Amino acid sequence: MKNTISSSAILGAILKKDLLAYSRNKLYIFLTVIGIIFFVLIFWVTPDTVDETIVLGITPSIETMLENAREELIEDGIQQPQFELFSANDIEKDLATEEGMQVLEFEDAEQMKKVLEGKLKLYVSEDGTLESIDPQEDHEKKEQLKDAEEKDLHMGLAFPLNFVSEAIKGEKTEVTIYLDAAVPNEMETAMQAYVQEIAFLLGGHESPVEFPEEEAIILGHDRAGQQISMQERMRPLLALFILLIETFAMASLISSEILQGTVTALRVTPMKVGHFLAAKTILGTCLALSQGVLILLLIRAFTVENWHILLITMLLGSLLFTSVAMIIGAAGKDFMGQLMYAILFTVPLMIPAFAVLVPGTVASWVQMIPSYPIVELLVGSTIYEVGWLDYWNEFLYAILWVAALYLIGLVILKRKVETL
Amino acid sequence: MKIPAISVQKLSYWYGNLQAVKNIDFEVMPGEILGFLGPNGAGKSTTIKMLTGQLRPGGGKAQVLSREIGREDPQLQAQIGVCFEEKNLYLEMSALENLDFFASLFGIKKPDSMEALQRVGLGDRAKDRVNNYSKGMRQRLMIARAFINKPRVLFLDEPTSGLDPVTAAEIRQTILEESARGAAILLTTHNMMEADQLSHRVAFINEGEIVALDTAENLKLKYGERAVRVRLREDGEVREESIPLDKPEASKRIAELAASPDLMTIHTEEATLESIFIKLTGRRLEG
Repeated sequence: MKNTISSSAILGAILKKDLLAYSRNKLYIFLTVIGIIFFVLIFWVTPDTVDETIVLGITPSIETMLENAREELIEDGIQQPQFELFSANDIEKDLATEEGMQVLEFEDAEQMKKVLEGKLKLYVSEDGTLESIDPQEDHEKKEQLKDAEEKDLHMGLAFPLNFVSEAIKGEKTEVTIYLDAAVPNEMETAMQAYVQEIAFLLGGHESPVEFPEEEAIILGHDRAGQQISMQERMRPLLALFILLIETFAMASLISSEILQGTVTALRVTPMKVGHFLAAKTILGTCLALSQGVLILLLIRAFTVENWHILLITMLLGSLLFTSVAMIIGAAGKDFMGQLMYAILFTVPLMIPAFAVLVPGTVASWVQMIPSYPIVELLVGSTIYEVGWLDYWNEFLYAILWVAALYLIGLVILKRKVETL
Repeated sequence: MKIPAISVQKLSYWYGNLQAVKNIDFEVMPGEILGFLGPNGAGKSTTIKMLTGQLRPGGGKAQVLSREIGREDPQLQAQIGVCFEEKNLYLEMSALENLDFFASLFGIKKPDSMEALQRVGLGDRAKDRVNNYSKGMRQRLMIARAFINKPRVLFLDEPTSGLDPVTAAEIRQTILEESARGAAILLTTHNMMEADQLSHRVAFINEGEIVALDTAENLKLKYGERAVRVRLREDGEVREESIPLDKPEASKRIAELAASPDLMTIHTEEATLESIFIKLTGRRLEG
C-alpha cells in the first residue's frame, strides 16, 4: 500500500475548502459584516454616562431633631458647647456638598416609607419643598406639580425624634434603615457607618446606635446596576450576538455538507470522521473567536488588565457556540429545520446577556444556562475588571459547560455523518 | 496466481430486522468490470457502502486490495475511487477546485485536475462554479473525481445516468480505459445495454441475494431462449411470429416460412440480460 497522507495535511485541505466555501456564502458574509458594523454603531450611540447620585431620605428633619435635642438638654440641664456649634443650616449645607449623595428631609416617616415602597411619587419643587402624591389618584395635584422635579428615593434613615440628645448623652438609640432589596450589602454597611459618624460628631464619643433588622422594600431598582452605563452593559450582549451569527454560519456549513451529501464523498477518501469533526471545530472556533475579538476591540473592551481573561472567555464562548452549531447542523434536515433548531438552541443562550441589560430581573434558573458563566466572565472582565482569582469558579463552570456541550455536539455530528 | 481486488464472503447487512444483504459471495479481479445489477432496494448500494467503508458489515467478511473492510482505513481509501449516484459535489466551488480539493485529500501534491476534466469533456468549463453546471456536466465531474487518484478499485454507481448518448459513450470508453489500466471496477447500472457492453461478468442481485453471477454470454446461454422472429403478410395484414430454436419443430417451421411468399423479414432474437433477470426473479430491473 502507498499514498499515506498525514492528518495535518488532510485537516489543512478541509480547512482550506471550508474557508473557501464560507467566503462564498454571500448571505453570511453580508450578515457578519453588517452585524459588526451595526453592533459597533449601537455601542457607540448608547449613552456612556449614568447619574450616580444616591438619593437618601431622612426623617424627621434635621431642624426638628435639633430643636427637640435643645429642649431635652435644657430640661436635663446638660451643657453641650460642641452642640452649640451646630445649626440645621450648617448640617444641611454639609450634606448638600456630599459627593454622590442627595439628602431629602421628610417630616413623616410613613410618607418616606411609602415613597420608598413606590406607593407614592416624590416631587421636589424649586424651593426644595417635598411633595408626594398617589400617581393613580391625585391627577389634579400631579398636574400642579408638572414643574417640580420627580425624584427616585433609594434609601431612607428613620431617626428617633430624640436621636441627637440621646447621642450626646451617649445613651442607646435605634435608627431604622430602609433600603431597596437590590441595593448591595456594601451600601447598607456604609449607611450604618454614616449614622455612627453622625452620632459621634454630635456626642463626641462612640454612641451605642442600634439598627433593627432592615426592612427590604422591593422597588425593582439596582443601585449597583444603575452605576454601570448602558454602553458598558451592551458589551457582553454584542459579543454574544457576533458569536450567534457565526453559529448560524457554521451550522449552515455543516448542514450543507450533510444535505448535499458531500460528507459521504469525503468518507470514501483517506479522511477519517475525526478529521471532519476537528476541522469543523477549528474553523468554527477560529471564525467566531476572530470576529468576537474584532468586535470587542472596536467597542474598546480590551484593557491591559483584562485582555487575557477576555481572550480565554471568548475562546470558551466560541467553542460553546461552535458546539451548538454542530448540533444544529446535524439536526436540521432542511433550511427551516435548521432555523428552528437554531432558534431553539440559541435564544436561551442569549438570555443571560439580556439579563445584564435589565438587572434585578434575573431568575435563579438563568444561572443554569450554559452561556451564563461566559456572560459573567465578560461582565466581570469588561466592567469590574476582575482577575483570575475572583472568577475562578465561573471559569470552571464555563469549562464544564463547554466540555459537556462540545461532547454532545461531537457525538451527534459523528453519529449523523456515520449513518448517512 | 492473481489476487482478487475485491473478495466478498458471506457478506450480510441488516437494517433493524430487515436483512438488506444476505450472505453474498463474489470476487472482482484487477482489470475486471463486474456489472452489479438489480432493482432499487436489492442491496447494491448497501454492498457498495460496506466495501467502501461507509458501513460496517453486519456479517461475513470482505477484502478490498487484500485489506479487511469494516473500519476506517485511510491506506485502503487512498486506493479506491467512488462515483456516487447522488451528485454530491461542492456546488459553490468550481470543477477545478472540487478536483484539487479531493486530490489533496489523497495526498496528491500536483494533481492533474485539468487533464482529468478534459478527459470528461469539461476542460473549457473547469473554472465555472458547479452550481452553474447541467445535470450531465455534474455527472461527468463525478466521473472525473472518481478517477482523480488513479484508483486500483473503482465503484461506479449509475455512471452514465442523465448523460446524452454521445457523452455516455465517451464515459463508457473512459471506464474501459480504466479497466485496461488494471483497475477493478464494480459497476451498478440499470442500463442493460451498458452492462452487457462493459462488464466482463454480471451479478444479478435481488432482495439481498446474488441470484446469478457469470459472463453475460454464459448467462444468455444458460437462461436465455434463442428464437427467430419473422414478419408475415397474410390477407393484407402484417403478423409477427416468434419461433423458439430449442424446440424440435423449429427447423421445419423456419423452412416452411422461408419458402412462403408471405415472408417479409426474418431475424434471430438473442436473450437480453433484462429478460434473464425477469426470468430469474420475476421482477423488472427498473422496479
